[in-house]
Amino acid sequence: MDTDDPDFFSRLARGDGNTFEDLLRNAPRDDDGNPAQPRDVPFYVEEEPETPLQQLIRRWVNERHSPDVLPTEEDLLSRLLDHIRSQSETVQLLRSDPSSSEEEHFRIMFVQTEVERVKFIVRSYLRTRLFKIEKHARYIMTNPDVQQRLSQSEVDHARRFARLTDQHFYNTVLQSLPESQQTLDDRILFVPSMITEPDKTRAVFVRARQNCPPVRLPDGTALEMQKGHISLTPYWVVEELVARGEVELV
Amino acid sequence: MALPQPLRTSVSPQELELIASEQLVEILPLITMEKTAFISGAYGPLRPPAKCRIPLWMAVNLKVKKKCHIIPPDWLNVEFLQERLSRETSYPEFSQMPFRFAEIAKAILDAAPDDVQNAEKVRSLLKDLREARQAKSREGLAKLDHSELSLPNLCSMEINELRPFFIHAMGVLTQLSREEQNGAAEEP
Repeated sequence: MDTDDPDFFSRLARGDGNTFEDLLRNAPRDDDGNPAQPRDVPFYVEEEPETPLQQLIRRWVNERHSPDVLPTEEDLLSRLLDHIRSQSETVQLLRSDPSSSEEEHFRIMFVQTEVERVKFIVRSYLRTRLFKIEKHARYIMTNPDVQQRLSQSEVDHARRFARLTDQHFYNTVLQSLPESQQTLDDRILFVPSMITEPDKTRAVFVRARQNCPPVRLPDGTALEMQKGHISLTPYWVVEELVARGEVELV
Repeated sequence: MALPQPLRTSVSPQELELIASEQLVEILPLITMEKTAFISGAYGPLRPPAKCRIPLWMAVNLKVKKKCHIIPPDWLNVEFLQERLSRETSYPEFSQMPFRFAEIAKAILDAAPDDVQNAEKVRSLLKDLREARQAKSREGLAKLDHSELSLPNLCSMEINELRPFFIHAMGVLTQLSREEQNGAAEEP
């Protein structure tokens, strides 16, 4: 291209579609597959902040996949429960009004359906935590760090559950054994611990919600996840990223 | 028990559909409805000839009652899927699909096959796509080791399918590598 042409810059400024660059820009894209530049539609366009419900869904799925109990989300839960309550009250109010039209009927039905959906998620979330708490009750009761992650009622439940099972084992079997064999927390060398602990080496599928700082892998190399990256890796590798909300389990 | 056995290590496809149904789709309503506040946000107002974006579960619900037409997302049509399928079969890597495409496609095709052009063809393309991708993920198993496996562009439903086997396999590899290390430490 001849830049000495006096018209060159003025033409560039006018942007009349005759310059080589313009032709190039407007040229139809070559479809003969260049995988380095896929003309993919970006699917992650929604960059809006998460709604409380989306947060709960993410926490629920995280909880379902992580082998360990994650920190409790009492604020989020109580906010959503309040919302459920107020929505249900509105429905009750509208239902008692006999003059409601067909349009009202649809709105009531949708609000009610949504309340049921959210209730399902809340229940499933709490049940998942309860399952892990019961499974690791003794471990939790011997570990104040883990208790920090539970709500007060969950700690109470863990305590009662641990006591109940201990009592049960004692009554059914242990009381007839010699005293030296009655304990439930022996730590014998080469034998797995008697207290069930969460298996943090279990693999999880993780998806990065943003670009993450590098983490160290079991084989010594580092992994730096870009947004949208999906990976299968042991839980302890990504434990901190999950806690910080930088990745989600899927 | 607090959590039924099958749900302890994995998530059921129905639950994945529940999650995917929170995503918004465009509909052509056939009834009017005022803007209404929901827990997940405010939707509406529905005014018949105007399109509107509402959550998928709501759209499916309306569709079943024949009160709306669902406008399928950009990727749920024969051309797009055909193109993805040919790419899927000619390149080794997974092609990019929306993360929850399988769930959304199923929900829409179940509730509104008449709103998707050439629904039968779309269904069979989705099935072919799934099989092509499954074959690739089986090949990916060879690359599995005890530390990490990257799975770019894998989708939620596919992950759920692979989960039990891959997690177990990785667990076994972890155990083996640990024994190897212990053995190496004891030898000298």
